[in-house]
Amino acid sequence: MILFPRYVMVRALQNMRGNLFPNLTNIGIIAITMLIFSAFSLIAFNLTSFLKIWEDKILIIAYLKKGIPLSTVEGLLKDTRQLEGIEAVSYISPFDAMVFMETKLGSQKNLLEGIKPSVLPSSFEIQLKKEYRNSTKINEVAFRLKQFPQIEEIQYGQEWVETFSVIVHLMRLTQWILGGLLLAALIFIISNTFQLTITSRREEIAIMEMVGASPAFIKVPFHIEGLIQGFLGAGVAILLLFLLYKIFILYLTPSMRGWLAGISILFLPPETTIWILLGGMGLGVFGSFIASMRFLKRNE
Amino acid sequence: MSHVFKIYPNQIFALSDISLEISSGEFTFIAGPSGSGKSTLLHILFCAEKPTRGEVVVNGVHITDPKFNKVYQLRRTMGIVSQDLKLLRDRTVRDNIGFALEVTGHPLGEIKEKVSEILWQVGLQEREKDSILSLSAGERQRIAIARALVNDPPLILADEPTGILDAQMTVDVMKIFTDLHQKGKTVVIATQDMDLIQRYPYRVITLMEGRRVDIETSDEVRQEA
Repeated sequence: MILFPRYVMVRALQNMRGNLFPNLTNIGIIAITMLIFSAFSLIAFNLTSFLKIWEDKILIIAYLKKGIPLSTVEGLLKDTRQLEGIEAVSYISPFDAMVFMETKLGSQKNLLEGIKPSVLPSSFEIQLKKEYRNSTKINEVAFRLKQFPQIEEIQYGQEWVETFSVIVHLMRLTQWILGGLLLAALIFIISNTFQLTITSRREEIAIMEMVGASPAFIKVPFHIEGLIQGFLGAGVAILLLFLLYKIFILYLTPSMRGWLAGISILFLPPETTIWILLGGMGLGVFGSFIASMRFLKRNE
Repeated sequence: MSHVFKIYPNQIFALSDISLEISSGEFTFIAGPSGSGKSTLLHILFCAEKPTRGEVVVNGVHITDPKFNKVYQLRRTMGIVSQDLKLLRDRTVRDNIGFALEVTGHPLGEIKEKVSEILWQVGLQEREKDSILSLSAGERQRIAIARALVNDPPLILADEPTGILDAQMTVDVMKIFTDLHQKGKTVVIATQDMDLIQRYPYRVITLMEGRRVDIETSDEVRQEA
């Protein structure tokens, strides 16, 4: 027997060479679709990683009421440390707050001239345990802190974190809805292009059927063709995305870099890249499968 | 084949109550004018069409059994010569014949050997590397026959194999079939050429408008003529 895998590979490559234009069309369509999908994946991936980094950095600042004696502060500090979900608490005196502001303002610290530290409130800088660094848990801790009468105000940028979480969720949702629509369109286009390929080879298929070729001998080369198209299309998409990513990084403006505060923009992790490649291959096979189901029934 | 009907839409009866039995090793002509149902009968025998009613057994396989689904396995036991030849015009003689072995999983060495052998049998050993387009009508017909025979099937079904050939080519092609018959193969030829039938002493099943007409041998055909 001719080795079946060898036969189907040779046949698939012959088919591709003989139908170069439909094959290039399919590869191009898969590449564009996968590029759109993987671009959304990349954006969502980076937004998620930003969110994680910011969640890790999240602090609760509890501003104390003015005029609280230091002896009360010590007791309050102890009580706060005992709250569930708290990892560390440090006391920031008005003087420390002034030094911090001066450091932040840098060369513009003269803006603070004439302002006495006593106008600034003392505060607790509260670090949370890892499992408490999310919007739900942080609200619970904030609620408990609010029960202390000595605390005037609590800030932890909750609105910002929540808004950002919503953006990330919307991005993921858009990615999958758009992905689903693109997927449907892609399967439709691929299967129709395959029908063209199959139609152009109908004489050959008729002969194969006549001489007793098994359905696998007829169909599998088309599926392998779809697999190769999907792999090449997804591969091109990943390469294009990588190029676009590199260009984006290269042309990132200093103001954007500042806004990102040292957080690096990442490319898709290898496992996601492999999933995209596998997805492309799966789509190619599925498209050829739909087309062959319609056209190659008679031999079974 | 027992009480076979083939009815196309609009109640067009291609075959009406056809019953026949062809024994192993027999040479049989299916005769009749154009539209009499000869091709439909052959198509049913090699499962290109399903009968509307009736029972058909080919090479011991009940092809009208609803559970039957291995058409390709049955087709490996028969050599089919189609009316339109079905040759790959962009390939060589060797590729066309070898194709039948290639797609049924034979090793390359065996393909080469069998192709050479069959080309010698049909007298076209010199044309092995030539393109199909460079062959005459008779040569193409012989290549189609060679492809049908290369798997060494016990049953040969040929639909109008001499329809487009001149007298000498017809003799050459018929010699291939008679040689096969002498080697013990079952040969079924559908033809409307009554002169051809008269020249060979074989069984004749005649169809008229989808019905069987009981003239049994070419001698009787000769007498009728």
